[in-house]
Amino acid sequence: MRYFLICFLLVSSTSLFTYAQSIGEFMGDERALYAETKQINQFIRRFNGEEDIKGERLYIKDKDYHNRKLRKKYLDILFNLKNNLLTDELKETFIDKVLDKKNPIYINFHGGDWFAEVRTIFKYHGKEQTVILFLELQEERVGSKWVITNVYFKPFIDVLDSPDTSEYNDKKFLHPLSHELGFMNLFRIFNDPDSIELYTVNEFKPDYLSIFLFEIKNNRLIFKTVAKVKFHFFQINGWYFELNYFNRTGYNTGWLISNLMQINKTNKEILMKYIYHE
Amino acid sequence: MKKIKFLLIAIISLTISYQSFAQNDISPSRKKAIDSLAMEKIRDLSKYISIIGSKETPFSEAKRVIDRTLELFVEDAQMGVSSLHRDEVKYYPIREYLERLMLLNYDQVTIKWYNIQYISDLELQPDGRYVGVITIYQRFEGTTDDGMIYMDTTKKDITIYVERKQTQIGGKLIGFWDVLLGDVRVVETMK
Repeated sequence: MRYFLICFLLVSSTSLFTYAQSIGEFMGDERALYAETKQINQFIRRFNGEEDIKGERLYIKDKDYHNRKLRKKYLDILFNLKNNLLTDELKETFIDKVLDKKNPIYINFHGGDWFAEVRTIFKYHGKEQTVILFLELQEERVGSKWVITNVYFKPFIDVLDSPDTSEYNDKKFLHPLSHELGFMNLFRIFNDPDSIELYTVNEFKPDYLSIFLFEIKNNRLIFKTVAKVKFHFFQINGWYFELNYFNRTGYNTGWLISNLMQINKTNKEILMKYIYHE
Repeated sequence: MKKIKFLLIAIISLTISYQSFAQNDISPSRKKAIDSLAMEKIRDLSKYISIIGSKETPFSEAKRVIDRTLELFVEDAQMGVSSLHRDEVKYYPIREYLERLMLLNYDQVTIKWYNIQYISDLELQPDGRYVGVITIYQRFEGTTDDGMIYMDTTKKDITIYVERKQTQIGGKLIGFWDVLLGDVRVVETMK
């Protein structure tokens, strides 16, 4: 791995300075910038072996396109090497699976099973508060676009997630002959809004995205800014990894795998719930 | 009636086949040509930013260059800036960002561009235009009159919109690819 990094950086310090499309005139050390995985697009190219050692895009007709050795070298440096929880053993198991000689695995921008988690800041009731948005790429008749699939906003959860079930729980219902009274007893529900959920169907689940849209349309939630972005990948069967952007000195920077887990169907569901704060 | 039906079916199937073709109809050689065109715009942008930031550029000239710079962009494009100390993005319309650059309170300003850049694949968006992102790096050095030096390196992720257009030359319709710049994300780096 170290050998590849040295080759990689040596190449970057020679050939790329004369790269035909370059805009720059800076003559200092640019190796760290070269090594950085600058976009998710580049992460995918490097992961799949679609970028050569000089940083040039490889196409299907090119000799080294999806080359296993090239992929192995890139994969080794696509992890956050400063995270001790990403053990060598775990990484090797993952890389072995991805580079399987008979059935190599590639990730695909349009392949689904991955999504973005975006930490944003909104003003709500006069205070700046964090809202986490989940977005995924949706294929359209023409092209594709990112769409919001889910939202996590603590004030919504605080109000709706856990109804007050502490006392008189068994008395909180509309009796089965309420209709004969023209539902006049509805007043009991609305006089006690803390446990209003008890009067809904068993399957009731709050739809936070709708509430979010409602609050925005009523100008009560006002967008301020984006604070942080990360990505969750479930595209490789039996595995989960998280991508984060590392803005730091050195050569292990940019979009890197910050978390890696071997998962089965059950713990995939648990993990999804954890990510969505459910 | 049958003829009309047939025509309608033919038009619909042509549109559908055009659309499915349009998803990936940019060949590697065409992509290279578009990349060059986009890089030309980025080069212009870099050149203009250096001129606007330079203390040697007269005010009237800097104003003129700002107008030229805006011609490179789609309407309502924004600069989203974040620093090492603040992850949150601060938004500026392009004109405001350039005017701030022009009015920076340094005695001497040097803006240099690194030779490294990254050009993403082009993705088709629902309005039929292609979108890409080009990443470049800028080094800024500002010196105040009492000799204090401020330095930073920023990563700029620049949106490019690529559109197939047609123009009439000598009575013939000629197709060409047009590139315009869009929102720019500016991140201060540790480099």
